[in-house]
Amino acid sequence: MRRAVLLIVLALFAGSASAQLPGLRKRQPMPQIPIIVGIDALRADFLARSGSDLVYFAGDSAVLSPQARQTLGAQAQWLLQHPEVVVRIEGHADLSDTRDHALAIGARRAEEVRSFLVLMGVPAAQLSTLSWGKERPGPPRTQTILVR
Amino acid sequence: MILKLAPLFLIGLTLSTAGFADEPSTVIGIPPLATPDQGGDAAAVAWQASQLIASDLRATSELFPVGPDQKDFYSYPEVTAPTFSRWKSRAKALLTGFVRSRTDGRLTVGCYVYDVEKGRELGRTGFVVPAGEWRRAAHKCSGLAYQSITGAPGMFDTRIAYVAETGSREKRIKRIALMDSDGFNHSYLTAGESIVLTPRISPKGDRVAFVSFAGTTPHVMVASIASGQPRALVQGDAMSFAPRFSPDGRQIAFAMMSGSNSDIYVADANGGPARRLTTAPGIDTSPSFSPDGSQIVFESDRSGTPQLYVMNADGSVQRRITFGGGYYESPVWSPTGELIAFTRRGGGRQIGVIKPGGSEEHVLTSGPSDEGPSWAPSGKALVFQRTDAAGRSGLYRVGTSGGEPQKVTTPQDASDPDWSGVLD
Repeated sequence: MRRAVLLIVLALFAGSASAQLPGLRKRQPMPQIPIIVGIDALRADFLARSGSDLVYFAGDSAVLSPQARQTLGAQAQWLLQHPEVVVRIEGHADLSDTRDHALAIGARRAEEVRSFLVLMGVPAAQLSTLSWGKERPGPPRTQTILVR
Repeated sequence: MILKLAPLFLIGLTLSTAGFADEPSTVIGIPPLATPDQGGDAAAVAWQASQLIASDLRATSELFPVGPDQKDFYSYPEVTAPTFSRWKSRAKALLTGFVRSRTDGRLTVGCYVYDVEKGRELGRTGFVVPAGEWRRAAHKCSGLAYQSITGAPGMFDTRIAYVAETGSREKRIKRIALMDSDGFNHSYLTAGESIVLTPRISPKGDRVAFVSFAGTTPHVMVASIASGQPRALVQGDAMSFAPRFSPDGRQIAFAMMSGSNSDIYVADANGGPARRLTTAPGIDTSPSFSPDGSQIVFESDRSGTPQLYVMNADGSVQRRITFGGGYYESPVWSPTGELIAFTRRGGGRQIGVIKPGGSEEHVLTSGPSDEGPSWAPSGKALVFQRTDAAGRSGLYRVGTSGGEPQKVTTPQDASDPDWSGVLD
């Protein structure tokens, strides 16, 4: 038993020593990898199971289409299974909007998505919103982004 | 060097102004400003200032400047005792003045305006300015001439704030920029570390209110132009946007989001609680005070589409003023109070004007991607943002009587212009 412990300790030392060798540099950041892999894996899983992190809107509208509701239903399911995850819903306007109106309509779209997710049972504490107005060009949309 | 080039300038000047010869404008002699200095910068500044004054006045339709011409040089004592007989055949009015270096390195600039026929002084003004700010003093002299002769305030010492844009379309870097309305004295108020939008200059020209993306949500900031130091207008996490100063500079009207609803609020420009003025469900935004401060025009989609509404400054008596086709957004009240400019959406975006009562709507530009009008202090022209087919945006000027918009030169792409009133 003691030997086994000693061996493990030795192996650890060996591991950290070998990490200093030029050919084995890759192993150096190992202690941080689980966290990075964690959020990346969560994001990949969220995308795969929800179908999309994006929801599209008609011009000058914040009304959720049947397809948007379907995507958000799947997002809600996933969020309910991952209560430790916090997301930010980012709302966007398109370039045809004027500056002030774009900020408001982006916020309204993000809020529409947020309330739908809450309606589906997702705790409000897991959700935050942000409007980009028309500062990130593209179609009228929201994007659900895993923050942590 | 500059003096030798003068005759060439004058030839160009005569040709370019020939088209206005039949308009009834007052001819004003602008001989070169004098200086008592022996050597130094004052002589060069005096010549450049004379040219700037002539250039300012040439841009008006009421005054027609003659000069500066080096043959009209006069001595320093003659500034206050001009030889009127030399001007009687050439001009109705005369502007003389001087530039003198001070021992502290600054300059004293003085200007005098005379009625040539009566041999009478109409007005005088004087300033002590840092050597680098002689242009402001010259603009003030132009203003004196304009006011003495027409009776209306001159509009030459004004500034334009806007958002300078660089970088790719996806990762735009935006900075608040300030410049004199003739394009000089260009500077940046923010460094570009976060997105900034819609700068609005205070009536005295000492502060700028704008929207910043620094932190967790877009919010209204107010910065002193002298220090550049910004602070949040209101506390809290709600998104605030679309700020505009009241005409006395004490308050700022703005929009604040709550859920999917945005309403118009006012707050003390120095901070303090916000007072809510609208309660209708929907997007209420882009408030702008009437010049007497008694009313506010704003944009609301309470009827289903964005339209313009006018209310009293306390939020009472809200009434819709636009009923044409399309959407009406980003209204701004003219400094004379007679018109409200707006962005119209429908078959592209154009700039238009309408009377506050809702009559006499005119679309002034053809678009297709114009927005964000702001009034020249005269109330006779607008500056606005136009985006071209390649997605590049710039500033343009258009008169309220229409005509082809003229590009305003900026060092980079530009958006969200705001034209100040006349600076103190």
